[in-house]
Amino acid sequence: MALNLEDYFLPASLQEASTLLQRYGDGAMVVAGGTFVHGLEVRGLLTETVALVDISRLGLRGISESGNGGVSLQALTTLAEVGAAPLISRNPAFGSIGDALQYPPRQILNVGTVGGCVAAAAPLYDLPAAFLALDGQVQASLAARQRAIPLNDFFVGLFESALQRGEIITAIELPAPAARSASAFLKLETNANDLSILNVAVRLTLDKDGKCADSRVILGGGVGETYVRATSAEAALRGQTAGEASFAAAAAAVVDDFEAVEDHRASAAYRRHIAQVYVRRTLGTALARLG
Amino acid sequence: MKTIELLINGATHEVSIEADETLLQVLRNRLDLTGTKKGCDSGGCGCCSVQVDGKVVYSCMMYAAGAAGKAITTIEGLGSGGTALDPLQQAFIEAGAVQCGYCTCGMIMNASELLATTKNPSEDQIRHAIAGNLCRCTGYTKIVDAIKLAATRTAG
Ligand SMILES: Cc1cc2nc3c(=O)[nH]c(=O)nc-3n(C[C@H](O)[C@H](O)[C@H](O)COP(=O)(O)OP(=O)(O)OC[C@H]3O[C@@H](n4cnc5c(N)ncnc54)[C@H](O)[C@@H]3O)c2cc1C
Ligand code: FES
Ligand code: FES
Repeated sequence: MALNLEDYFLPASLQEASTLLQRYGDGAMVVAGGTFVHGLEVRGLLTETVALVDISRLGLRGISESGNGGVSLQALTTLAEVGAAPLISRNPAFGSIGDALQYPPRQILNVGTVGGCVAAAAPLYDLPAAFLALDGQVQASLAARQRAIPLNDFFVGLFESALQRGEIITAIELPAPAARSASAFLKLETNANDLSILNVAVRLTLDKDGKCADSRVILGGGVGETYVRATSAEAALRGQTAGEASFAAAAAAVVDDFEAVEDHRASAAYRRHIAQVYVRRTLGTALARLG
Repeated sequence: MKTIELLINGATHEVSIEADETLLQVLRNRLDLTGTKKGCDSGGCGCCSVQVDGKVVYSCMMYAAGAAGKAITTIEGLGSGGTALDPLQQAFIEAGAVQCGYCTCGMIMNASELLATTKNPSEDQIRHAIAGNLCRCTGYTKIVDAIKLAATRTAG
């Protein structure tokens, strides 16, 4: 269906992959799990692509502790492997990751990769929202150059990221969460096969008196071309005792933080309403995880 | 065209394929392994499910060239060499979990990973596991019953 496709490459090293990507330029497309790439192909969006560069043999797979309690997820780690990793599932700070992995079918969890779901740069995807709430950063490699890109700067537009042509994500890094941190994620969808109406990821960090020392409130789904960081909601939480009153204030504030999309899935008014409900619920879940 | 080697149900197959052919296309059209079904061809129904290195995947979304060197199992590879049925196949028959049968092979390939990783899964775990497989006929109850039956027989 990708009518002009000439070849499918399986490079064995990052260097070899880089060389191929440079040689084919705009005609090359990276394939990790291929679940998103295949979707582009069946929609007829790969007609310019002449070379698929499958990076699954580069060995970039696995989850490890990076210095002082942070976690590094290599780019080719599958979503299922992330969900099964004790480093993730045992830490309430990473609760939003486990939540986000409740939605895709097993067949996608087994194949879709950490790097692929981030590189796709679609605010409709769940896991990147959780990574944003955890202040994650992308490690990317272009030929011999390696650089870090905070996820906050990574998503530039719909299907558009800060990656340069030929640049490959090698890992997603999550910094060590502060003590007394927990996170949570929720998504609203009409059915399991449809795109998200709205999703919310939050992280809550409490001080020793139970007040919100820090928080992240991230919105995805029908909120525009990229994820949105809800800074008004975060401001409403700062310094307040974590509980119903401050969560209600954050929920009320969140409507100032985004332009709700209006489409056949949901009206803008409904999305604004759901954003408030889900901010309250995810904050409640995060707090309960600290309990 | 390029030639690749696929390891399917324990046997190596050398096949010439186009660069963009999916594993599903190669299984059905080039190797005549038609137990694996084509439904939506885009990750929405699950009837194309096979296992790759023991993990259930949608074969309609996987490039065949990328599956080279991996251990692929299709419904034809379950059971013992075509003589005895796999406990899941037997349970699907006994529980009446098959109507038109179009979803069945995908359901079984999916449930087979579940039973390999989870002893005596709960009904919740079963329903969650098969969420990516649609059945237009049975209403799922008998499929869940069949997986439970196979689970109790294989748990030992
Ligand atoms: C049926 C179905 C259901 C789904 N359900 C959900 C759901 O419930 N929730 C959800 O969040 N998502 C869902 N998804 C989306 C899924 O999470 C993504 O398709 C998947 O994570 C993408 O990963 P991949 O490895 O398959 O990416 P690929 O398709 O291989 O690649 C995705 C994009 O990123 C690029 N790329 C990949 N890896 C890298 C890298 N390391 N460096 C640079 N560029 C790279 C590719 O060129 C491509 O543009 C679903 C998808 C399908 C098909
Ligand atoms: S044919 Fe593959 S999921 Fe429907
Ligand atoms: S038995 Fe007909 S689709 Fe399931």
